Amino acid sequence: MHKLLGMFILFLSLHAQDYELGNGIQVGSLPLYLGGYFSLNYENKANEKKYSIDDLSMLGYGSYEKFSYMAEFEFHDLYSQNSVGDKTTIKRDTELHTERLYLDYEYNEHYTFRAGRYNSSIGFWNLLPINVLRPTTSDPKTQDLFPNFTTGADLTYASYDDNEFKIDLMLQNNEDIDPAYNNYNINKLYGFGGVYEKDNYSIKLNGGYFHTKNTLDNDLYYFLFSAKYDVDDYEISSEIGRQESKKRVTTPYAGYLQGLYRFTPKHVGIVRLESYDDKLQNKSDTFGVLGYTYRPAYPIAIKSEYQFHTLNKENQFLFSISVLF
Amino acid sequence: MKLLLAIFLLSTIASGHEYAVIANKHMTDLSPSQIKAIFLKKLIVINDFQAVPINLDARDPIRTKFEQRILEMSFDRLQAHWTKEHYLGHRPPISLKSQESVKAFIKKVDGSIGYIEMDNMDDSLKILYKWSD
Repeated sequence: MHKLLGMFILFLSLHAQDYELGNGIQVGSLPLYLGGYFSLNYENKANEKKYSIDDLSMLGYGSYEKFSYMAEFEFHDLYSQNSVGDKTTIKRDTELHTERLYLDYEYNEHYTFRAGRYNSSIGFWNLLPINVLRPTTSDPKTQDLFPNFTTGADLTYASYDDNEFKIDLMLQNNEDIDPAYNNYNINKLYGFGGVYEKDNYSIKLNGGYFHTKNTLDNDLYYFLFSAKYDVDDYEISSEIGRQESKKRVTTPYAGYLQGLYRFTPKHVGIVRLESYDDKLQNKSDTFGVLGYTYRPAYPIAIKSEYQFHTLNKENQFLFSISVLF
Repeated sequence: MKLLLAIFLLSTIASGHEYAVIANKHMTDLSPSQIKAIFLKKLIVINDFQAVPINLDARDPIRTKFEQRILEMSFDRLQAHWTKEHYLGHRPPISLKSQESVKAFIKKVDGSIGYIEMDNMDDSLKILYKWSD
């Protein structure tokens, strides 16, 4: 870790004059840009408190003609201090995870082929899943319906003739590059997605199958419908999804409706109403999230949120500071 | 009164500046939606060439007009967009300081695309889209 940080600081010092926060730096004139992000989190729930260095990540990317690549490595929960009542435990996870590692080939203006490990292109949240870029510190429960990472191939067809239209096919038929850093340990995934964007509207439909090794039901199917209206001052978004196995409905529904209002570009208020019914964990809940984000500059997010649950013991306060550099 | 109004309207029209999104003659016709996708780095390859969007300097008023008219995004939303794109592995378009530099670049590099005032247009360039104040 020290070597990675040392290299980044060295590059930063070499390019200090050109550097702008949130844009990364170019290494010489090479097709290589370096950047990264971190997130410091605080959670307070019933009689439980947790402080953590949630994410510390380095990323490198570049492009050459029709090829481009992305490599991202991350420490997750590098340090966490958890207090339940009077008992405090400290954990240090120093394993470096491979978050993303892929190569893209732009065949022409319509077709792009990707190979490697990537964020599964499902829904809205999973495309920009890191704390500094997402609206709230917490993720909606719709994120639990599908594997957040795929190790395999992805074929995209896109058209921008009048409006934006995209079809996406995901395929995994092998082990995950980093199974410890995924919400499901999968060795198969076949997924599809379709996106249509016109003016400020966006709708998206995803569905697929995946095979897991770490759940009671190994063969699972997911569906997710997403819709968003986004203008300068505010954004309204909603997602609703479902998960089934061959034997039963594992999650009959998980969904949310979210409103985001930009008082100014630096001050953002968020209200989200969520509901889910998870049969595998035998848990269902409906809750509201009230959040406020202060961005002194866009790549810096200072966020607080409070969650009001129908399961009262789940009520919680979250606070985080995250930076993309 | 009507005459005064007509003179006022004519003078307003006459004083409006015209601008053009341009490329070299090898570039295929593009819709405003495709031009927007190129400048937001969603569309990477066009006409089998690597698409190279070129901006004018950040403080150039023509750039502001282009961003409002074609990209339909405020300065703050564009900054947010490029921060997100950094995470996704995409860089913002390169910037050149003058319209003459933009023209010179476009003449040499297939797939490049920029914007200038119509007054600076010449026959060696192709107009992809035209708008006025």
